Amino acid sequence: MDGAFLELDHISKTFPGVKALSDVHFDILPGEVHALVGENGAGKSTLIKIMSGVYQPDKGGVIRVNGKETNISGTIDAIRQGIAVIYQDFSLFGNLTAAENIGINGAIDKNRLVVNWKKMYQEAKKALEIVGADIDPSVTLGNLSVAKQQMVAIASAIAQDAKMIIMDEPTSSLSKTEIDKLFEIIGTLKKKNIAVMFVSHKLDEVFRVSDRITVFRDGRYISTAKSGEVNTDQLISMMVGRKVLDKNYANLEKKNGVALEVNRLTKEGNFKDISFRLFKGEVLGITGLVGAGRSEMAQAIFGINRADSGEILVDGEKVRINSPTDAMNAGIAYIPENRQTQGLIQDQTVESNIALPLLKHYTNRIGLVKRGNQRAFAEKWIDRLDVRPKNPELLAMQLSGGNQQKVVLAKWIAADARILIVDEPTNGVDIGAKAEIHRIIREIAAAGTSVILISSELPEILSVSDRILVMRRGRIAGEFVNKDVTQEMIMDKALVSNR
Amino acid sequence: MKKLLRKKEFSIFLIIVFISIVITVASPTFLRPDNLIDVLKGNVVLGIMALGMLPVLISGGIDLSVTGTIALSAVLCGKLMVTYGSNIWMVFLLAILIGAGIGFLDGIIIAKLRIPPIVTTLGMQSVFVGIVLLYTNGDWITNLPPWFKQFGTFTVGVLPNGSGGTLGIPVQIVFLIAAGLITWFVLKYTLIGRGIYAIGGSRSSALRVGYNIDRIQVFIYMYCGVMAGIAGVLHTSIVQQVDPNTFTGMELNVIVAVVIGGASTVGGSGTVFGTFLGVILMAVLENGMVLARIPTFWQKIVMGIIIVIATSFDVINHKREQNKLVRVDIEE
Amino acid sequence: MKSWKAWKAKHSNELTLLLILLGVFVLMSVLSPSKFLSPGNIQTMAFQMPEFGLMALGMMAAILTGGINLSITSVGALSGIVSAFVLSSPWAKTNPVLATLLAVVVCVAIAALTGLLNGFVIAYVGVAAMLTTLGTMTLFDGISLNLTKGGSIAGFPSLFIQIGNGSVGGIPIPILIYTVAVVAAYYILERSAWGIQVYMTGCNRIATSFSGINTKRTLLLVYVFSSVMAGLGGLIIISRYNSAKVDYGSSYMMNSVAAVVLGGTSINGGHGTVAGTVIAVAIIQMVSSGLNILGVNRYIVDIVIGVILIAVLAIRSLAGIYDRAKLLRKHTAS
Repeated sequence: MDGAFLELDHISKTFPGVKALSDVHFDILPGEVHALVGENGAGKSTLIKIMSGVYQPDKGGVIRVNGKETNISGTIDAIRQGIAVIYQDFSLFGNLTAAENIGINGAIDKNRLVVNWKKMYQEAKKALEIVGADIDPSVTLGNLSVAKQQMVAIASAIAQDAKMIIMDEPTSSLSKTEIDKLFEIIGTLKKKNIAVMFVSHKLDEVFRVSDRITVFRDGRYISTAKSGEVNTDQLISMMVGRKVLDKNYANLEKKNGVALEVNRLTKEGNFKDISFRLFKGEVLGITGLVGAGRSEMAQAIFGINRADSGEILVDGEKVRINSPTDAMNAGIAYIPENRQTQGLIQDQTVESNIALPLLKHYTNRIGLVKRGNQRAFAEKWIDRLDVRPKNPELLAMQLSGGNQQKVVLAKWIAADARILIVDEPTNGVDIGAKAEIHRIIREIAAAGTSVILISSELPEILSVSDRILVMRRGRIAGEFVNKDVTQEMIMDKALVSNR
Repeated sequence: MKKLLRKKEFSIFLIIVFISIVITVASPTFLRPDNLIDVLKGNVVLGIMALGMLPVLISGGIDLSVTGTIALSAVLCGKLMVTYGSNIWMVFLLAILIGAGIGFLDGIIIAKLRIPPIVTTLGMQSVFVGIVLLYTNGDWITNLPPWFKQFGTFTVGVLPNGSGGTLGIPVQIVFLIAAGLITWFVLKYTLIGRGIYAIGGSRSSALRVGYNIDRIQVFIYMYCGVMAGIAGVLHTSIVQQVDPNTFTGMELNVIVAVVIGGASTVGGSGTVFGTFLGVILMAVLENGMVLARIPTFWQKIVMGIIIVIATSFDVINHKREQNKLVRVDIEE
Repeated sequence: MKSWKAWKAKHSNELTLLLILLGVFVLMSVLSPSKFLSPGNIQTMAFQMPEFGLMALGMMAAILTGGINLSITSVGALSGIVSAFVLSSPWAKTNPVLATLLAVVVCVAIAALTGLLNGFVIAYVGVAAMLTTLGTMTLFDGISLNLTKGGSIAGFPSLFIQIGNGSVGGIPIPILIYTVAVVAAYYILERSAWGIQVYMTGCNRIATSFSGINTKRTLLLVYVFSSVMAGLGGLIIISRYNSAKVDYGSSYMMNSVAAVVLGGTSINGGHGTVAGTVIAVAIIQMVSSGLNILGVNRYIVDIVIGVILIAVLAIRSLAGIYDRAKLLRKHTAS
């Protein structure tokens, strides 16, 4: 396209055994917000890595910056050509100050021998002001919230004189207010004629902020459209190649029995006066803004983040939960938000991961593990949840995000947890796998397990839960039965104070 | 932010003050300037090696080969002086070359072959200590040239010594101060120094941001080696002989000093000031126990207990702070 | 056929080490056939290896969890010294059998206590293993010095001396003890539920804890296991020397780290085999003895071991980088 800042044509990328990209096209204009959507495996991160100089495209690929054909030879070259990337993990240094994080690229690029701290501080201050962030440049980055760290990352890109900023899943750890602030910043960037490439799974945000949307599927370019000219169903259809229906699973029948009862659970600086009941076989959705204390509360129930006061009753009996072992003994399981580092052991096999909570069950009397039993056990669950590839000896890290999540689920379903708490189970999971995970959650609920589903995605909450709790600033702000509930009603409780 | 500075280094400082008071009460000779200078002089070697070890620990690595380096440096420099006469410049040049050479080997293996620092430097340690013992057969080197003795007792400046006379600052302490200033400058103001903190903070981010990690790593281990090399000459200048067996176990003491001074074994943090405090703390403790006539066996016990308690306190404090972090702004 | 290939691939590390061991054996035999292959030398190696091997097994357990146990030889010395007090007492002279049994019990008990201290500080307080064991190593050395006043304790009942110097059916008793320990270590670490917890904790402590495993208790027991192995090593040492001294066995500390790493255990934890460690111990022992026989200066032995360690790791590292790159590229292809 004419006038494009960056244009990629006929880009392919082959790895041994896998063709990640086949003849794709992408271009972006100065000051444009151009979103790239697609399922996991569509090739989005490969494209980003080509743009940022990490990978080189196969022969025949053409890259043009400002109309001139060029080659992005490495990460520093990309920065010099004006392309900056903000990765999901920000690639920042928690042990250094915001100023240093912002100025470091420039210092390395100009190959300065000595660091001029005063200058670095001033330049950082300037960049932060442009971004509109109220951050003291001398603060150690690790002490800032995730949202603020992201602002520092953006300021860093501005300090490097970026003409294009690629944002990879930028809103996955942000609360609604922080997302609004981010979009404001994107608006500022647009006004400065900086192009923004927005890669995200969250289609509502994509529609909200982008000018154009490009869809990739299975490493191929599908199409590009102006965001006003296409709707969600069409987009999903292009991403997935088939129609996906929005299901509502809510089962409104009266439930028998209380599986879990929580009374006045309190922990200073985390949550206060939490009381609720979880019925047998139901899916209770807990939502609210990020930072409302949902995970903290869930972790208290699981024994990781012990509460100061309050009581927990399982099947009507009071239990003391001081550690995950106590929780497991009470039949409670927790699938953490950060599945990759906390939910699974990446370096170990799928089989070992699935078998871990239940080691005792196939240990003989002298304490030795019956390997045959363990293998059969793992294979059964791989089958049940349709984990692909089906090999129990693969390392967890070799599976895709969606399949990894299935392994985590398998592990706890297999452990026959009576109460299962899942925290953001479909974060970063592609649409197809998402639907599967929703189906699995409903199935286990139907089989008698009581599930607490913590999620920031309202469509997911509304689709999967029977009842919904809304948390706000450490307390429970509202409770709904999932009938005729709208996203606005939930948001209302999540945001407004009762005063 | 000032508050943070007060946290770790300040508490070590307070402990030093406290212990000093206790010792002085028990034995007033402690505070005499000539005793203090002596104590400092006796720990110059530990101090300089600790300053060399600091960047290594900040980067998340470790260097167990410093014992081999200091031994080799002391031995070869000693032999140089005894056999060839030589002069002080040649001696230091040799020491620096040895330190840089061993450090370079360490760094290259760690950077290019990707063998973890603990294992690489362990292997190097084995090799170079072996070379030292092989070469000397365990024999001491004595009869060093008189000009070296002069160098060893050379003092700079004039200070009152508390009993009406004057005292000079031993040249070794000057070296220590110089090493401290250089290390501080490198860590704070040079790009390589910032790179060391970056690598310790997040290696992957350091790569992405454009730091040449291999080059920085080689530098770190060479720097550590050079410090150990210089320390070897200074050690010889203090005791005026070379006993190749005397350096055993030094590497662990050096690490303890740096860690007590606030550096984390995982990397990413540590300061020159903190390291100085760590060395001073160990020096004061040792001197205190000697002055209080505590027998050597008890010294080890006390040292061991202090290491365990000090590190425990640090961790407990850290955990308490983490726990206090307000995660949610609770609505009233 | 298929399973044989898979088995070979899975245990390629141990097989490679066995080849190296064989190579060393052949080399030493060729270089000095009359002395190296003499029954005297084989006996010597057989008597010396077990104490080293036990230390290495103890070190391995700590390294498996991503930690390290610098106090291992100090624990061995301390347990040995306390037992020595029992053995050299006048009471022991008149009740040698009882004294021997008591000595063994005391040795293991003291070792276990040290393990509890290490384990408590590392697992429950949370201090880094290297720092903790650095501190306890100093502490235990200090206590040992205090007990022996720097000297040695000697004069044990002849029954006890048999443990380190006697043979049963031609097989040295230390080898018997070692074999039992190796088999036990294999089953405990690689085949038991607890052992799997150890590996998992070493791989990813948080995820393991989130899976309901009490990682604190697991770690505590690891250091108890480590110390007990060291204690057994210390027992054999004092029996062989018929005396106990603070620095007996001190060289085994760094060498056991070398053996563990050479044997294929990852220094970051989570991976490693007992077989690998045992073979590596044998390799180091054989190199050491062989070079000794050749009249090579003992200092060169240290150099050679250092070089072997780095060389084997370098080769492994280069091969590993290649493998890992292939693996991860397949995974992150999109």
